[in-house]
Amino acid sequence: MKLIQDNKNLISLVLSATFVVVCVIIFALGVRGNYGNPSSRELSFSGWKEDGPFELSPERGRFALLYSFMEDHSLNFSIPLARFSAPDIAVNSKGQYASLFMPGVSFLVIPGYVLGKYFGASQVGTFAMISIFALANIFLIRAIVIRLGANKIAASLAGFTFVFATPAFAYGVTLYQHHISTFIILLSLYILLRWKNAWSLGVIWFLCALSVVIDNPNFFLMLPIGIYALGRIISFEKIKTAYVMNIKPVLFLTLITVAIPVGFFLWFNKASYGNPLQLPGTSVSVAEIDENGKSVEADTKSILTGSSRDEVSKEKTAVGFFQTRNLLNGLYIHTLSPDRGILRFAPVILLGIIGMVLLYRRNKEFANLLTVIIGINVLLYSMWGDPWGGWAFGSRYLIPTYALLAIGLGIVLSKWSKKIWFLVIFAFLFVYSAGVGTLGALTSNVNPPQVQVLQLEKISGTIQRYSFDRNWQFLNESGSKSFIFRTFARNIFSAQTYYFSVYGLIVITGIFMLTMLAININKQEDIKK
Amino acid sequence: MKSLNPTLKISIKELTIKRFQQWLEVNAVAVLVVILSIISIVSFVHYYHNGLAIAYNDARSHLDIGRRVVEGLNPGLAQLGSVWLPLTHLLMGLTIWNDFMWHSGLAGAIQSMAAFVATGVLVYLFLKEIGTGLFARFAGVAVFVLNLNVLYLQSTAMTELMLLVTMTAGSYFLLKWFKTEKLYFVVLSTFFIMLSTLVRYDGWFLFFFATCLVFFQLWRKKGFSNATGMAVLFCTLGGFGIFFWLLWNWLIFGDPMYFAFGPYSAHAQQSQLNAAGVLPTKFSWYQSIRIYWYALAYDSGAFTLILGMIGSVVLWLNRKIDSKIRIASLVLLAPWIFNIIALYFGHSVLYIQGLSGDTWFNVRYGIMMMPSLAIFIGYLISHAKKLRWVIFGLFLFVAFFQFSSADSATIDDATVGSSQKNVTEVSGWLRENTANVKGFILISVASHDSVIFSSGLPMKKFIHEGAGTYYDAAISDPIHWARWIVVRSYSNDDSTWRLLKDNADFQKGYELVDHYPFADIYKIKDEYVAGLITDPILDPKVKK
Repeated sequence: MKLIQDNKNLISLVLSATFVVVCVIIFALGVRGNYGNPSSRELSFSGWKEDGPFELSPERGRFALLYSFMEDHSLNFSIPLARFSAPDIAVNSKGQYASLFMPGVSFLVIPGYVLGKYFGASQVGTFAMISIFALANIFLIRAIVIRLGANKIAASLAGFTFVFATPAFAYGVTLYQHHISTFIILLSLYILLRWKNAWSLGVIWFLCALSVVIDNPNFFLMLPIGIYALGRIISFEKIKTAYVMNIKPVLFLTLITVAIPVGFFLWFNKASYGNPLQLPGTSVSVAEIDENGKSVEADTKSILTGSSRDEVSKEKTAVGFFQTRNLLNGLYIHTLSPDRGILRFAPVILLGIIGMVLLYRRNKEFANLLTVIIGINVLLYSMWGDPWGGWAFGSRYLIPTYALLAIGLGIVLSKWSKKIWFLVIFAFLFVYSAGVGTLGALTSNVNPPQVQVLQLEKISGTIQRYSFDRNWQFLNESGSKSFIFRTFARNIFSAQTYYFSVYGLIVITGIFMLTMLAININKQEDIKK
Repeated sequence: MKSLNPTLKISIKELTIKRFQQWLEVNAVAVLVVILSIISIVSFVHYYHNGLAIAYNDARSHLDIGRRVVEGLNPGLAQLGSVWLPLTHLLMGLTIWNDFMWHSGLAGAIQSMAAFVATGVLVYLFLKEIGTGLFARFAGVAVFVLNLNVLYLQSTAMTELMLLVTMTAGSYFLLKWFKTEKLYFVVLSTFFIMLSTLVRYDGWFLFFFATCLVFFQLWRKKGFSNATGMAVLFCTLGGFGIFFWLLWNWLIFGDPMYFAFGPYSAHAQQSQLNAAGVLPTKFSWYQSIRIYWYALAYDSGAFTLILGMIGSVVLWLNRKIDSKIRIASLVLLAPWIFNIIALYFGHSVLYIQGLSGDTWFNVRYGIMMMPSLAIFIGYLISHAKKLRWVIFGLFLFVAFFQFSSADSATIDDATVGSSQKNVTEVSGWLRENTANVKGFILISVASHDSVIFSSGLPMKKFIHEGAGTYYDAAISDPIHWARWIVVRSYSNDDSTWRLLKDNADFQKGYELVDHYPFADIYKIKDEYVAGLITDPILDPKVKK
């Protein structure tokens, strides 16, 4: 016992390092991809598209922009790239094809693409960049939870749960914006907790602006953070018999940092669409590219009404995508539905709500901030016309909410670590949620919404599954899309064995941490006694 | 370092803020009246200019009923009819004589607008009465006001806002009575509940519900005989409107229950729907609750509904609040209970697009809980002190999107649902071809009131069921009275067609000049024009 006490720091360091290594290994085992540096023509082969890592248009559109920029040195797509990206592709007033997605992700993953290309796996390198952001999110959650006064093991377990026991895992091994958006939110929160100086404000404003370049709804998610940060410039206090408003005018200069992302965005819009103020999502979209490279079917509306491209894009406003009418259905889809609901895909993260309540007693302001961001995230995407997120695994739009609830989870794990019944409930839910999350990560995100299933069954003549049982079916019939599995393990293991190996590693790590947490607290109590 | 980052300080004395709060406490009602009046007028102007102010088919009928009381071949109170309760039509009498007020819809909307302002104030007062702070009270009012469906309905000549104000006022004074037990408040409560019984039948249920609450409270506190006495008093005053309506129906139509079972009653309409198998809520609690739940969610907003539900639970479970207040607050649930019961028994019909086929019908009934939800949310904001800005901020966030996407189920109900009736073609034909030609148009108001309204022609141009002797004369002898006849051919639901179809004069003397989705227009043949009577020469009340 004395030996353990004497080497506490060393043991802690070893355990932390092991934790990092395990997380990296799990991501390495999960990252989807094929070996090779595909050309723009090869990208449209089914081995890269439907049967490969670019299974849905969000990955394709973002990779196409990256590819176009790196290989063709243009923001306008060549015909093969346009064909690869269709139907989520925009056409500008000159008839050139451009990305329909916000450009941030494509540019942030450039290092991964370059490094991956050097090793002959440009797509894997690109996807791995998202895994790095996901990995960073684990440690940001850990850092925030510790900063809020929780136990380090509980903090690590919270981050681990967020990434590996929710649909966040499935979106940490492919090319989506969610982990980068979450990273920006978490980093901003950490900065707000950690520092109060002018530099930190400058970084916050920079992150707020950058978040919009990643995904424009991030504007709303970052808004509370921006308002909270503004409280550092304009604050209120009560001094004796007066209320005082303190304004630090010099700090307004920190707002200058938004110029970098905004400048980049204006340049991108000008180069892509010919108008610096044209948002990507509001451009006219193309359904398909014909053999001659012409858009076969321009935006349905412009065909039906005969209106010009400029007219149609004007009607597509950034806030027009969100309708309060959708709220009821959206809330159901995100929470209870069998095809996307959090209750079905990641119930463990809901324990974080208890932690949020506990946090209110300790840090009301920060708890309010987290609650508002969660509220905005849930409400915003419940108002979204497609709350399912297209064909997707779980509720991908709520990934920032999972991360913020994980902060609450860290608090409650720390506070209630003596309550065995709670730890048992957590363990059960963790094992279940990790099983679901891993299934999604190692297979595919191509799960249709329940509402489309009948139509699909009619077309295909087969039973169509829409929840994670579809992923189990995929695992048994088509294997795994993991790069490691496809490249090295396919001939050694079955996909099922591979799944259980990764899942086993996650469960063992999680349960080990939970045990450590329980022991650690009990030990601390012994010391106190 | 400090000099590099100077702080600008603006201070306000605590006393100044307290004085402002005190001033606001005293003048809150006046402030609200001003703000809400501005919002109300701006909303009306907006909907008037985009043509939606009279989009509801029912709005046009309400305006026509009001107009027929003061103008037409047989003006008078009897024109109030039996289909709808009379209060809103009576109030229209003040302004409906003016053509602009009639055709702009303002004669009907103006009372809805006043009701809107008053309901906002009542939400404030109700919240004050249950002990919430200033912020929560204003937040509650904001919940009621920042709702596109409320703003739209207050801009139309519909009856919903008048019902809301009378019911909320009745509930408010009932609460005051529960708290103080002063008889004065019971009288006021019964007065407003009585008014609500003359606006819509929802008021009748409120009357029953409130009586039960009063009886229950007094029985609990002072015994059975006291409770009975007060219940009798309550019924006597509050039930006057219902008594008046029964009497009215008896005197005018010869049957006190004519409004309930007459040929144009909701019951008759629902019977047809039931026979056609399109009344799924009838005798199904599940469907009734489900359909009304969606109507509530679409009208008040799903987030508002959820917050309101939480607020109501918090209110009723909070033991710190006097049980009198909690019991009195139950009255806020009356519209919800009534609508579900009405749907269950098939007295009401409500279609939600997506659940009841591809159409809307009467989705506006979901607005009835709006003041209640606003009060519950105001209370929630007051109770959840730490979260008040979070709750209100998220509410504003959702409201922003409702306004930015102009998302209003009631406008859809009025413009694309079953409640709409696009009669522009038929009314346009009448306006162009009959305005400057002498002669009457024979038409059924029960079937084509919106045609009359949209034509822009004076009411005295039309011979309809309410025109007394003129109608009888035109039905029996059309070629002497009707230059034009507007009917839905081959539809026995159209009383004019039903009465004329076998008439030999009609068959030989008229030619079909145009055919439209909702009506056909027949014109007298040229050879019979000379025999037409084109001036109002009859005494409409003297039977031939």
